[in-house]
Amino acid sequence: MTSHYIAEYEKTADLLPGQSIAWLKALRADALTHFSENGFPSLREEEWRYTNVSAIEKKLFLPQLTAQTAETDDAFFNDYRLEGALTVVLINGRYSKQHSSLEGLDEDISVLSMTDALAQNPDLIEQYLSKAVSIEEHSFVAFNAAWFSDGLFIHIPAKKVVDKPIQLLHVVTQGDCLSTIRNILVVDEMAEVNVIETFVGVDNAYLTASVTEVFVAQNACLTLHKMQIEGDKAYHFGGTYVKQARNARFNHHNFAFGGLLARNDMHTDLDTASECDLNGLYLGIKRQHIDNHTRINHLKPHAISRELYKGVLNQRSRGVFQGMVYVAEDAQKTDSAMNNRNLLLSNDAEADTKPQLEIYADDVKCAHGVTVGQLEEKSIFYLQARCIDEETARNMLTFAFANEMVDKVKLDGLREKLLEQLLKRFPQVSVDKAWL
Amino acid sequence: MSSSAKEVENLIAQEYTQGFVTKIEVETFPPGLDEDVIAKLSKIKNEPEFMLEYRLKAYRHWLTMDSPDWAQLNIEPIDYQAISYYSAPKKDSDKPQSLDEVDPELLDTYKKLGIPLDEQERLAGVAVDAVFDSVSVATTFKGKLKDAGVIFCPISEALQEYPELVKQYLGTVVPEGDNFFAALNAAVFTDGSFVYIPKGVRCPMELSTYFRINAANTGQFERTLIIADEDSHVSYLEGCTAPMRDENQLHAAVVELIAMDNAEIKYSTVQNWYPGDENGVGGIYNFVTKRAECRGHNSKVSWTQVETGSAITWKYPSCVLLGDNSVGEFYSVALTNNYQQADTGTKMIHIGKNTKSTIISKGISAGKAQNTYRGLVKVGKGAENARNYTQCDSLLVGDKCGAHTFPYVEVKQPSAQVEHEATTSKISEDQLFFCQQRGLSAEDAVSMIVNGFCKEVFKELPMEFAVEAQALLGISLEGSVG
Repeated sequence: MTSHYIAEYEKTADLLPGQSIAWLKALRADALTHFSENGFPSLREEEWRYTNVSAIEKKLFLPQLTAQTAETDDAFFNDYRLEGALTVVLINGRYSKQHSSLEGLDEDISVLSMTDALAQNPDLIEQYLSKAVSIEEHSFVAFNAAWFSDGLFIHIPAKKVVDKPIQLLHVVTQGDCLSTIRNILVVDEMAEVNVIETFVGVDNAYLTASVTEVFVAQNACLTLHKMQIEGDKAYHFGGTYVKQARNARFNHHNFAFGGLLARNDMHTDLDTASECDLNGLYLGIKRQHIDNHTRINHLKPHAISRELYKGVLNQRSRGVFQGMVYVAEDAQKTDSAMNNRNLLLSNDAEADTKPQLEIYADDVKCAHGVTVGQLEEKSIFYLQARCIDEETARNMLTFAFANEMVDKVKLDGLREKLLEQLLKRFPQVSVDKAWL
Repeated sequence: MSSSAKEVENLIAQEYTQGFVTKIEVETFPPGLDEDVIAKLSKIKNEPEFMLEYRLKAYRHWLTMDSPDWAQLNIEPIDYQAISYYSAPKKDSDKPQSLDEVDPELLDTYKKLGIPLDEQERLAGVAVDAVFDSVSVATTFKGKLKDAGVIFCPISEALQEYPELVKQYLGTVVPEGDNFFAALNAAVFTDGSFVYIPKGVRCPMELSTYFRINAANTGQFERTLIIADEDSHVSYLEGCTAPMRDENQLHAAVVELIAMDNAEIKYSTVQNWYPGDENGVGGIYNFVTKRAECRGHNSKVSWTQVETGSAITWKYPSCVLLGDNSVGEFYSVALTNNYQQADTGTKMIHIGKNTKSTIISKGISAGKAQNTYRGLVKVGKGAENARNYTQCDSLLVGDKCGAHTFPYVEVKQPSAQVEHEATTSKISEDQLFFCQQRGLSAEDAVSMIVNGFCKEVFKELPMEFAVEAQALLGISLEGSVG
């Protein structure tokens, strides 16, 4: 199967960063071969059985690598800037220095665009690129490896606790744009940092394909937030692939609000006694299709994983959750709990969920739970008995259901922004920001 | 407690007791499968014309299909041309009219297996249809059932006597091209049971079929069709065993259940095909398609299965809940030991309004075995107020085995409530300690805890079966404790 994206590749290849680096060139060539052999994933693949991406193949999104970003009106995305954060802005898949603000960055911390990082220290990047996820994972990863035009590279040295959060603000300003970015986050031993990935864009159709590789070293702690508020007609693929060393801690807060078709991959490999906490909230309205895919690999003993994904699906939207917990043969004393809760609000909405356990060790404690349903009548009655009309009661309970996930975010500024988005998507007169 | 401790010890020391071979003269087709074989088979069975067409259609469809590979199973490729598709005790030329005419060797076999075939054991009050290799050898209690209006006979006989009835229902639940193994079964099935419960009849006794593979190099392909007409009730039991052989033998069955308005079918299975030895040599490949359709309002189908045998089990008894207020249930205990592999579970398809389903699945994995639960709960757009509750628990005994859970939940109806819960753990040290502190040996304690773990399912089984199932668990866990 050949995709017309292959034909286009030749025209743009020279504009991609790192073309003079032999290993990267070889990697891109391998990835392109892999992609040309397999094409975009089809419904016949188990991991993609609920998500049809054929629309991407039917359209042709092209990278806008030569376009000047200087005139970009930044009012449109300034709202999403997090106050007090170090912000790196990527516009249409290219780093925009003038929009980024990295003042007050400690010298020993590296926060660079991928282009710069490849130019300055290709050997360092080689240690990490394509190491947390291989191009064989699936075609989107291969596609990303072949096409990526920029990205963010963060390196936090050992024992450094970064007080300011670091924000990656990814913006698409043009329709039919293909924006492919590859990010690498490295948190060395005993370091600690908060990172936020934000995806915003115009109302026209475009495609974002982002892959983030994360390396959390021994005793380090990374809290990663993803706020996906792509435009209404956008296609979004975002993959986060994490390698956790011994005793490393990784927290993830994933908010999928935007896009017509959004797919999110979240994979983590756990070493001895490491911990991960994955949280997710997906809100579907109109004809949105939001797919969340998580995989937790317990490879060594004593690791702990917690996962809670919640979905609220309204109108004609469809929410998908596929979560896998894998426990390898010698990963004894694994403790894992996974939950997925879905609220179906309309006759045309659909929820598909598939939690999975694959366990090869015996001394483990693994559980998962799934629910699909609606608000509990008892709770509504309780509120009605206290003079709240039914509609308000339903709105309050729906909001509370979703807000649990927002409440878990510890960064005040980010929580405010998330709350704003939440209220925007469920315009509920009765749910007043003031009484929260 | 000491006497029962001894029993458990005996059980643990026991090997597969049904592993003997009966020396009986058989008529067997040479290995191989083509349209001629199917025609010959149909002719031997003296089947009506539509059956041959049905078989050939299925066979042609089967040729276009590939063996499914999505299950969490490691299956050696099967050479379908090396299998003989028909094997029958030779003295079949004139079918036995009563038990006296049945080959005494056969009766001995069933006696060894503890099947109440002969008069003395009729007191057990279970009507039995026994299928030996490819044919049904004897059916008890025919007369009594006939008085009640119940038809219970081998499906080959039903094709002779009630061809219209069979034609009306056969393949309507599991179409001939449903899946690879169902298509193969439709092409070559040789016998099985046929049950028809007329309107308003409550079947006066439990019905039972006993399956036995005896000959080497044969496959067993049986087909069961149960129809419960309006306001009727039937409880049906199924048991299976096979001799110990070094090569793998294929068992590909199809079971179709149809429940009309207010009808209820209870289908219980104790599957104990030869699981192979402790090194994983030999054993039965058990690829079974079982599906029930609750066609009428307020109908109910309940599947209960205890799966302890077979080298490989691939089996998903399902319920299609078409009628409003219909109910589907699935209770399962699947135990794997040594190198056994099981990929089993259920599908609950909610189509009618106010439909309910319950899934309780208990998986126990020991030795180097792999045990997988795979299930689907699907709620269609029109299935208002559908309700599902699923609970899957896995117990791991030993650190070389695996237990996996792959549930699929697809909901298109906002008033539906679907819940799924799963846990995986090993026998807790606390529980073991508690039992041992009270004077139980480790083996006793494990056996007791495992039985407790499965209790929810065992209580769904008819009495005699529950006892057998508990005993089976003990045998199958042999060597994995302590």
